[in-house]
Amino acid sequence: MALQCRLSGATFQSLKLATIPISSSSSRFIFRTLPKTLNLALFSRHSAPKAPPFSVLIRTLSAPAVAAAPAAETSDIKVVKPQWNAAIDFKWIRDNKEAVAVNIKNRNSNANLELVLQLYDKMLNLQKEVERLRGERNNVANKMKGKLEPAERQKLIEEGKNLKEALTTLEEDLVKLRDELQIEAQCIPNLTHPDVPIGWEDSSKLRNMVGSPRKFDFPVKDHLQLGKELDLFDFDAAAEVSGSKFYYLKNEAVMLEMALVNWTLTEVMKRGFTPLTTPEIVRSSVVEKCGFQPRGENTQVYSIEDSDQCLIGTAEIPVGGIHMDSIVAESALPLKYVAFSHCFRTEAGAAGTATRGLYRVHQFSKVEMFILCRQEESDMYHEELIKIEEDLFSSLGLHFKILDMATGDLGAPAYRKFDVEAWMPGLERYGEISSASNCTDYQSRRLGIRYRPSESPSTTSKKGKTNVAATKIVHTLNATACAVPRMLVCLLENFQQEDGSVSIPHPLRPFTGGVEAIYPKSR
Amino acid sequence: MKGKLEPSERQKLIEEGKNLKEALTTLEEDLVKLRDELQIEAQCIPNLTHPDVPIGWEDSSKLRNMVGSPRKFDFPIKDHLQIGKELDLFDFDAAAEVSGSKFYYLKNEAVMLEMALVNWTLTEVMKRGFTPLTTPEIVRSSVVEKCGFQPRGENTQVYSIEDSDQCLIGTAEIPVGGIHMDSIVAESALPLKYVAFSHCFRTEAGAAGTATRGLYRVHQFSKVEMFILCRQEESDMYHEELIKIEEDLFSSLGLHFKILDMATGDLGAPAYRKFDVEAWMPGLERYGEISSASNCTDYQSRRLGIRYRPSESPSTTSKKGKTNLAATKFVHTLNATACAIPRMLVCLLENFQQEDGSVIIPHPLRPFMGGVEAIYPKSR
Repeated sequence: MALQCRLSGATFQSLKLATIPISSSSSRFIFRTLPKTLNLALFSRHSAPKAPPFSVLIRTLSAPAVAAAPAAETSDIKVVKPQWNAAIDFKWIRDNKEAVAVNIKNRNSNANLELVLQLYDKMLNLQKEVERLRGERNNVANKMKGKLEPAERQKLIEEGKNLKEALTTLEEDLVKLRDELQIEAQCIPNLTHPDVPIGWEDSSKLRNMVGSPRKFDFPVKDHLQLGKELDLFDFDAAAEVSGSKFYYLKNEAVMLEMALVNWTLTEVMKRGFTPLTTPEIVRSSVVEKCGFQPRGENTQVYSIEDSDQCLIGTAEIPVGGIHMDSIVAESALPLKYVAFSHCFRTEAGAAGTATRGLYRVHQFSKVEMFILCRQEESDMYHEELIKIEEDLFSSLGLHFKILDMATGDLGAPAYRKFDVEAWMPGLERYGEISSASNCTDYQSRRLGIRYRPSESPSTTSKKGKTNVAATKIVHTLNATACAVPRMLVCLLENFQQEDGSVSIPHPLRPFTGGVEAIYPKSR
Repeated sequence: MKGKLEPSERQKLIEEGKNLKEALTTLEEDLVKLRDELQIEAQCIPNLTHPDVPIGWEDSSKLRNMVGSPRKFDFPIKDHLQIGKELDLFDFDAAAEVSGSKFYYLKNEAVMLEMALVNWTLTEVMKRGFTPLTTPEIVRSSVVEKCGFQPRGENTQVYSIEDSDQCLIGTAEIPVGGIHMDSIVAESALPLKYVAFSHCFRTEAGAAGTATRGLYRVHQFSKVEMFILCRQEESDMYHEELIKIEEDLFSSLGLHFKILDMATGDLGAPAYRKFDVEAWMPGLERYGEISSASNCTDYQSRRLGIRYRPSESPSTTSKKGKTNLAATKFVHTLNATACAIPRMLVCLLENFQQEDGSVIIPHPLRPFMGGVEAIYPKSR
């Protein structure tokens, strides 16, 4: 039986899981103090999956990082070890369980909060038991240091041996419990900003609309037809060479891609972001820590054969990884990156009408913004990111709306997500061109990114202690500055002219060597 | 058996027919197997070799041309890794954690420099009549093989995608070669000249030794590649054109380099002739390959199935009653590196470093970097 972890978005991930053996002899000490059967709700938890609508920049509910293992409803199932641990605050979850439960429900997540709380309790109890036994063993060891009758010594040796065996067993059980707790707890989605509407796509709230649909006084063509007439792409040759949803860009489309990337990088750099190019092959553990699922069914992630590596679907992943497992100085924050990379997505499970031409492809260029900041500042930087996007898309002359995405559409990592949908006259609808997410501490707890607050001027420092403040977890945010194929759709369809040419927006012209329009070629 | 026959005669013929049919089926199966085995063996035969190519290994390669001379430094020079560290241009350590060794992030001015190199190179090559392209970086493994690479060999350079027949490209030569596969182009369309920008991925399995530091040997890099399909008689001429373009590009950046006519042992199966460009890298204290221009004649096109139909000749010679369609011929294909970014970065950083720790940007690139003239150390 597979554990289904819900996604926001249409693709459905399944994760195979197992749990601690119930009746193996090694567990006898657990069951002295604990309930006889572990909660098997794990296997009976199926809500019929609703079918949420699409989002390209889709994210899965994080199922934890485990090696897939067959799960059976029998008792000889093996514990699966998480490949990495997230720094989850179990105590906080327990102390705020009502809020966490409501959040899980609003997000339509399949996380099993009850099980997490039970496992946490068991773990605490088991820890106490282990400590108690350790204490006893120390006592025995101490007693054996003095002068003893042989019979007494023998008895102590026996006792010591028994304690040691018991301890070993308990310690193994503790490890397994911790592992299972990790696995279950990693499924719990991020909290939600109080202003986020509850529900599915229909419930998303309009934040802002910029511009209005252009009125055409001639028949409008879609980007595929424009591309064909202006000799800008080749999908047919790519289908032979690579498969469907691949393409070559040709002629002015190449210059337009270069111009979009260059202009976007330049504009975002002006706002204090450090430019980067990134690896496009990364370890799968990094993909998971960012909240994606490389090995789920219908995964969006391409894996490399004979390796633990994957192709990135967004630069968010390698950028998130830069500071993993480290402590940054508070004075270094905020760290603001703008990264250019190619992105690869399997688009498995993507069906339906919205797959023509450049709208949904396996490979594309993207400029991504990423911020690491102090906890108190993430809301502010979320506003900053969406403002930057608004500025970029307005200056290109696009008409678009900005949506505050509802809880069902957030995906596990996002505390709040703004989507930008631009008007695509050829497709006769709005299409998502960008997404800005505040992931608060969800990714950083998994990536292990902390900061050390600067010391406060100190009449309060304790005498004799070193003045090193406890570390805090950073908050991370990410936002699309430019996803090239959808921008090409927007530019071609919105700026087409009656004579078949396409005007190039003014800000891009310096980056196309001054080219002002794409004209039909005489044949 | 169509005519009228005695029953016993018919029976004899039926027997005979049956025997013949069985014998034929067996033979036809054998023929298929033989053809398959012939293909497999024959595909191993390398391309022919241009008569002027020196015979032997690397030492036998012949110097065609040298441009410029090594710059004289009057201060201690640094290699690109040290320059990159001091100017905060790359991060290999974070990439090793995130991805593995031989991966890297480019930062700050190095990003702008990569963009400038790509843009400038594309612009320059387009001026010479090449059609610009970006290409898929995931392709079917059969296309990789038809271009002369071996995705599944031991120590293969090729990354494969799990649960699929797809691979990552090591060069845009592959997807560009694939554009016209299994087709017949009109002679009037030739030559087809493409300049393609792509990321490239190489496992570098089996690459060992000293030449692996920093940007010199990496798993992923950006590259601008030139590709020509032409008539058979013209490939030598286009080979000269390609190497001339490379020479122009690298001279205008102010690099010092030599062009080698590679010896037979270094050609690789597809190349009829191959010119390598090795540029002076003062930090590494040696010449390093930054580019390669190969004439593959019909090796790739026979595998990719790319033919052209010669235009008809003015015709007192056409045979009466036959359609005037000339027999198709195989095109010749050529490929040449216009710009391989990491090695260009090595060259630019090491050659144009200044005593104060800055690096001068070559003039042709400056318009493509928003006018930036140099990379300066950042005050801390």
